[in-house]
Amino acid sequence: MGAANLSNAAAIVGAAESDVIGYPEDLTGHKVTSLQHHIQAIKNVTVQTGIPISEIQGIFSAGWSGELAEHLGIKPRYLDTTSVGGCSFQIHVHHALAAIHAGIIDIALVSHGEAGWSYRGGGGGGGGGRGQISPGAEMTAAYGTFGAPSQYAHAMVRHFHQFGTSQEDFAHISVVTRDWAQLNPRAVMYGKTQSPFGGPITVQDVLDARIIAWPLTLYHCCLVSDHGGAVIVARPEVARGLRTNPVWVSGAGESMGHQNILEMEDFTATSASRSSATAYKMAGLGPQDMEMAMIYDSFTITAGITAEMLGLAPRGKGYTLWKDGHAAPGGRLPINTNGGGLSFNHSGMYGMQLLVEAYRQLSRTAEDSVNGIEGKQTQATTCVVNGTGGTLSTTGTLVLTSDDR
Amino acid sequence: MAYNKPIPPQGQHTKPFWEGTKAGKLMLPRCRDCNRVHWYPRQICPFCHSTNLEWIEGSGKGRLHTFAVQHRAFGGWAEEVPYVTAYVDLDEGDRMMTVLRGVDPTKPEEINIGARVEVEFEQANDDTFIPFWRVVQESGE
Repeated sequence: MGAANLSNAAAIVGAAESDVIGYPEDLTGHKVTSLQHHIQAIKNVTVQTGIPISEIQGIFSAGWSGELAEHLGIKPRYLDTTSVGGCSFQIHVHHALAAIHAGIIDIALVSHGEAGWSYRGGGGGGGGGRGQISPGAEMTAAYGTFGAPSQYAHAMVRHFHQFGTSQEDFAHISVVTRDWAQLNPRAVMYGKTQSPFGGPITVQDVLDARIIAWPLTLYHCCLVSDHGGAVIVARPEVARGLRTNPVWVSGAGESMGHQNILEMEDFTATSASRSSATAYKMAGLGPQDMEMAMIYDSFTITAGITAEMLGLAPRGKGYTLWKDGHAAPGGRLPINTNGGGLSFNHSGMYGMQLLVEAYRQLSRTAEDSVNGIEGKQTQATTCVVNGTGGTLSTTGTLVLTSDDR
Repeated sequence: MAYNKPIPPQGQHTKPFWEGTKAGKLMLPRCRDCNRVHWYPRQICPFCHSTNLEWIEGSGKGRLHTFAVQHRAFGGWAEEVPYVTAYVDLDEGDRMMTVLRGVDPTKPEEINIGARVEVEFEQANDDTFIPFWRVVQESGE
């Protein structure tokens, strides 16, 4: 036991700065934004090393990684945006070393840009480069969208157009996910005692609910609730000595498509196609081997298109898993067995809930939620877990397998 | 009536765009090396990673890529619900966000993806004219 030996597993191969540092306005008459500092330094280090920007596979920065990848037009397979103050960059090198040692990436970019003088003050105090706006935000801020549903609705309309689908098709996802919540006493929508809106719903209920952002009605949207969760990951020697059953991380992958949905190339496709391909390959398993799925369902459209990206259904047909009953209790591919973000719980960032439920289903040691109810537990030994972040922006996929598989 | 909706702050390298809007022009960033137009404005070409960029005057024409009808809004926009937000494919390439004009927000089934759209500008304050797009021809792709 103990840490793997990472010594000499990777090297720093170039280092450069942005064009004008210090007090740019005194030297050039212009302020320089934090983003400009980043991009200039990145351009310079890639020229120095001869490594094309397009070959960067991992991107490490203190809070900027999504923005930088989008601005550069690259789709990284490793994202780290750890931001813990001035030592973040040493930590990024450490994390890059580990990622390279593990064989996940060959080339990592660590980037820093901070207009600590040009944009000093502005409410935050003490440097940091506040009071700036990203160009993506600058070019979209005027147009009256408020929160996730206002944007995800655009993806559903495009899906209608490309695949001939309808509000009703996606409504089945809400109905089936609510059916799962009826089996989970901890679900917000378990019954009328938890919420006046709880209990079973019909497709017509979904269609008749008030419109948030057409074509999304209220029941196409996830809950807003409280949640806390935690999981522990350990090496096999530790895992074997515990009272709990291990659930193995057989595959893992990550990617992103964009930061701002303005940059989403295909409104009906997310980077889950790439993150899941990586995860399946690592696991030596494919979508046909998955016996259940935990899919981030911020909205019905999110679940529907993610099922397509994960290879669980053909393009344009993700919703059929729910409509035809396959994803439902008793179906061949149970999906979102806790009741989902739509009916169990959604606190804002729902990825932890996915993990907790996947562990409960595959470990056979759960004491509450669906697993605690006799006869309702799945018998799945494999589960694909996919989280979606931002505005259909970033994805992380895990392939989990049970110990008794 | 004074413009009562959010007015974006203007960035350091986007001045040619905002200056253009005052003159009724839709200025777009283009890469001199690969000749591709990109949107939003970058420090670096997102296609070929050249920093040799220029601004060109766009045609102000495009097609509707997708849309949504907003029924829940805040501030000045709350007075306008329902209204249609949209993404427009520029004839020059790449895509812009907008609030779409020339459509009936109460009949979303009648809004056609692929409809021809043209830009227009609304003055928000002394320094800012905001581009909005209008459907000018209903036929889809």
